[in-house]
Amino acid sequence: MKILVCVKQVPDMASKFKPNAANVWFDETDLAFRMNEYDEYAVEEAIRLKEQLDSGSADLVVLSIGPSRVVEAVKKALAMGCDRGVHIRDDESYLKDPWQIASLVAAYAKGEHFDIVFTGMQSLDRGSAQVGPTLAEALGYSCVTTVIGFSLEGGVITAKRELEGGAKGVIRLKLPAVITCQLGLNTPRYPTLPNIMKARKKEIAVFEVAELGVENPRTVTERFFAPVKKGCGLVLEGEAAALAGKVVEILKQSTIVLRGQP
Amino acid sequence: MEAAREIYWNVGHGVILPMYFFAAGAAAVCLYGFARRIRVYGLGGPLDRSSNPFLRLRLAAAWAFAQVKVLRAAFPGIFHAAFFWFFLLLFAGTLLIVAQVDFTLPLFGFSFLKGAFYKGYSLTLDLAGLGAIAALLVFFARRFIARPEGLETSWDDYLVHGLLLLILITGFWIEGARMAATEMKGDVALARFSPVGMAAAGFLASWQEGALLSSHKVLWWSHLLLALGLIALIPFTRLRHLFLVPANYFFASLEPKGALKTLNLSDENAQSFGAGKVKDLTWKDIFDSDACVSCKRCQDECPAYATGKPLSPMQVVHKLKDCAFSGPETDIVAAVTDAALWACTTCGACQETCPAGVEHVGKIIEMRRNMTLMKGEFAGAEGRSAASSLEVNKNPFGLPYAERADWAAGLDVRILAEHAEADIIYFAGCYASFDRRNRIVAQKFIEICNHSGIRVGILGKEEKCCGEPVRKLGNEYLYQELAAENIRALNGYKVSRIVTACPHCRHTLGLHYRDLGLNAEVVHHSVFVNDLLKSGRLKTRAERFDFTYHDSCYLSRYSGTVEEPREVLKAAGGVLAEMRKNKTESFCCGGGGGRVLLEEKEGRKICAERIKMAQATGMPLVVSNCPFCLTMLEDGIKTSNCEEKLQARDLAEIVAERLA
Amino acid sequence: MKALLVFEYRRGKLTEANLELLSFASGLGAQRSGVLVGEEALLPAFEGRLYLGDIAKCKEYDPELHAEIVLQATQQENPDYIVFIHSSYGWDLAPRVAAKLKIAQVSEITGLSDGKFEVGCCNGKMRRLVRPGTPKAVLTLQEGAFPFAGKSEGTPEVETLVPAGTGSGLEFAGYEEAEKRGIDLANAEVIVSAGRGVGKKENIPAIAELARRLKGELGASRPVVDAGWVEHYRQVGATGQVVSPKLYVACGISGAMQHLIGMRNSEFIVAVNKDKDAPISEVADVMVIADVMPFVAALTEKLRK
Repeated sequence: MKILVCVKQVPDMASKFKPNAANVWFDETDLAFRMNEYDEYAVEEAIRLKEQLDSGSADLVVLSIGPSRVVEAVKKALAMGCDRGVHIRDDESYLKDPWQIASLVAAYAKGEHFDIVFTGMQSLDRGSAQVGPTLAEALGYSCVTTVIGFSLEGGVITAKRELEGGAKGVIRLKLPAVITCQLGLNTPRYPTLPNIMKARKKEIAVFEVAELGVENPRTVTERFFAPVKKGCGLVLEGEAAALAGKVVEILKQSTIVLRGQP
Repeated sequence: MEAAREIYWNVGHGVILPMYFFAAGAAAVCLYGFARRIRVYGLGGPLDRSSNPFLRLRLAAAWAFAQVKVLRAAFPGIFHAAFFWFFLLLFAGTLLIVAQVDFTLPLFGFSFLKGAFYKGYSLTLDLAGLGAIAALLVFFARRFIARPEGLETSWDDYLVHGLLLLILITGFWIEGARMAATEMKGDVALARFSPVGMAAAGFLASWQEGALLSSHKVLWWSHLLLALGLIALIPFTRLRHLFLVPANYFFASLEPKGALKTLNLSDENAQSFGAGKVKDLTWKDIFDSDACVSCKRCQDECPAYATGKPLSPMQVVHKLKDCAFSGPETDIVAAVTDAALWACTTCGACQETCPAGVEHVGKIIEMRRNMTLMKGEFAGAEGRSAASSLEVNKNPFGLPYAERADWAAGLDVRILAEHAEADIIYFAGCYASFDRRNRIVAQKFIEICNHSGIRVGILGKEEKCCGEPVRKLGNEYLYQELAAENIRALNGYKVSRIVTACPHCRHTLGLHYRDLGLNAEVVHHSVFVNDLLKSGRLKTRAERFDFTYHDSCYLSRYSGTVEEPREVLKAAGGVLAEMRKNKTESFCCGGGGGRVLLEEKEGRKICAERIKMAQATGMPLVVSNCPFCLTMLEDGIKTSNCEEKLQARDLAEIVAERLA
Repeated sequence: MKALLVFEYRRGKLTEANLELLSFASGLGAQRSGVLVGEEALLPAFEGRLYLGDIAKCKEYDPELHAEIVLQATQQENPDYIVFIHSSYGWDLAPRVAAKLKIAQVSEITGLSDGKFEVGCCNGKMRRLVRPGTPKAVLTLQEGAFPFAGKSEGTPEVETLVPAGTGSGLEFAGYEEAEKRGIDLANAEVIVSAGRGVGKKENIPAIAELARRLKGELGASRPVVDAGWVEHYRQVGATGQVVSPKLYVACGISGAMQHLIGMRNSEFIVAVNKDKDAPISEVADVMVIADVMPFVAALTEKLRK
């Protein structure tokens, strides 16, 4: 069985973001990068599937698009247990929209006949939640998104979608399929040192993005900016006890909540 | 007639052959017993602990004969030391007899156990024997009557205590019988030089000569067989420590305290990391477990054990021994349990106090390495998220690495990447960089340096966590990654003196980083400030303050820095009331061993325990020298609800307020 | 300009967010029509054409059949925009529709600016202004971003659509309910929520105590629930509970989008956080910049037991 997992390297969300010179995305200076959190669950699920299928018979490929630094994310996935990596090298991946990204993955994946594709349901930086289903349409695969439970038995996938209010929708589907993963699908493993060392020897095939052909974008980012603070936003700073006193006064004035308190 | 004793009186020279025959047998059994054990030690991997043999011999001899380590716990240490010396005298006495009877007399016709020498000899041995019995009775009372909590007693103890008492008593009984039949009748003046024997003879005064002679023979043989039995039993009982402990002294580490094996992570052939099975331990680890005498001193000193955690250093060692004797493939982590392993703060109090020379901390770290590197296990979700934060942002808080130098904004400090000239590099460490409370300490230290005209450079964004907490938790890989980046940055600047306010950073950069290519002088800020004061470069006003001082484990036990902080604080006007456990006997704050990153889920808080000790001094201030200690002590103060009565501060804050 | 609004029928009800589609269309100044896979007896109230696919024929979950209905409606209406709510239904279905039509999709729109669409990014910390590059586009709206004021009225003109295709070969095998709740956050008047900034599980009781003193319920953000510090049913957010209490106190919550969606309609929001720039400051009426636990302790002190 051939399994593909698509990962994106994103900045650590605790960082402070500033627009880049062109004002269309964030400036990368001083940012720390890591694998997109949703994709970690995708990698873990893909590896569990491989382990379930008697490892020898499953070929698990991890793919990422971006500049050289994304190889770190690919290596992490390899250290967790993927068999080989694919790096679509693109220094301008940040300018590409989900349609372009999905098409690049499809261009690579078409000839490879993967049985199943895992990816995170969205990225933390762009957050469009489009690549998964768009990829499925391009490949002609079934697709389920927001998966919080997954199992494969006898060629049939049972997927549980996380719905509003915490309920789950149970879906059964056949391969080939694209599965987009929600947080909490599993607990991603921490790579063991023997696996980190084995990963050093694993192959990472590199494709230049031009080799695969880039589609025209379907959306255009005009501007990237920090939001204007909308809240009537009273900002209070100081020492805890004084702050607490102020807040109690404000609550008494602005809400009915503390009626009856001295 | 000259004072002397007829050797082999009454029993006759005919006993010599059977005596040596039995002795040879006992020795053979003893050797066999040890040979079996040596095979088990051999299940462990290699370790060089025989380099510098003459130094080792000197140390071993000093420690063994002076009972230095045993005496660290005054009670019952002094009784063991006394028993040891008395028994040593008795043994020496026997050797003198062998020397005369087997060598000097037959070969040279020379005897020396006579006259004044004999009188002194006999008196000494009598008193030694009496002293030995007295000490032994104290052991009995402690072990079998008082039964201190946590002290394990088994068949082994009953056997050994009983045998020793029997041997000593039969010894005097023999003497009494002999003297009743000889000296008491002929040479009472001489008998006074064997006072205990004389008293024993008194009890036998009414016996008939025939009864005395035959009972003497029986006793002589009993005493011999008991003693030889004891020798044969040595390897099979706790008495094995007679050989194992002095040997363990010989095998002690000559490296600086806290030295750890730096794993070779580029070795493609390495299959296993850390210690998960008996065969992953070193021979020394297994030897340690056999040398352990179950005195429970390590357990008594352990801050985790004292606060109800599932860790007892003694039990860890015992379980390793059980595993070793079960076979090379035995799973040691499962036996010791991960809960026990994660509870350790690596404070080192256990091995500091161990009279048998057991090294506990290294074993725990090796087992943690197995859990982390081979299984990807963590002490808790918070441990894992700290490791992830370190991987991404090089600090355990998950704060952006680009903000690491924000604490220095507006201070007279150079970022080395912009301005590479400085007198010292201040290695801030994660807490001083990001933790609100500890940033103040960093800022105050810079003030002190500015005041003294010291130009301070910092790595700023280039600085990464030194890696110590995760290294102690077993994550050697993450540690080496962080270390490599720090070393690359530090080696890029020509400043060769690094100062840090964190003892963990100091120990790591000053010792551990040597294996990875850093060769700078790394100084703790208390030592640095002390140097400034001594050289006159810094002057302080002495404004009185009353305080107690908390010695950080990594400063006092690991680095030997005990007096310098005290001198600094005294110069600043401090009046010190020491805590009961201080200097190298200091009680951990609970933050070491990577535990500052983890939550304490069981038992009482270690920091609260330490605050109790601080409160007992009645002082309104506890001064410490480590960001982990400061954090934990303040936590302990909050937990104990004594914020009105006790404050925790760092040395740097106090000195900075008194600059002259 | 014309907007085709994709309404959502969820487990026998029309979702409240459907009204936001109407509000958005008004904001755009677009002529609106609707498409719904649902039942004839339960229709959204508005004036305009509604293309209706029967839920019995199209199944509760079958993206191919549902997409087909939307595509049929699109063919008939020829709208400029096909608008979904960014719900678990919308974000699953919208990209498929966009891909089949080969048109742009703009996801989780938070606002309109000059005819262009504002979307969130970087976990809610930043914004992008996006323009579709194709003449038509699929849009998904962030829940709560286009609130509907007042009551919706009217009866749509229904046109029934029947799917021709056989569907996606997916089998919908029913629902698994969420954990039994001991509390009802949706109706609480006061909620005090714990976020990651609370630090550790042991601090949760202090937050719960504050909730108690305010006569409210304890809620939590997703990371706190995932970490096992509180029960699942306390989760406030897009996939937890959507709440609108009179007072919402967010303790150590950064304000990731999925949480904001769950509580931004609260009447009065107080947020405590060390980070001045945390996204929650956008919705907070009062932003207290402080260490969470000491502030919570001080505030609890001041409130009567």
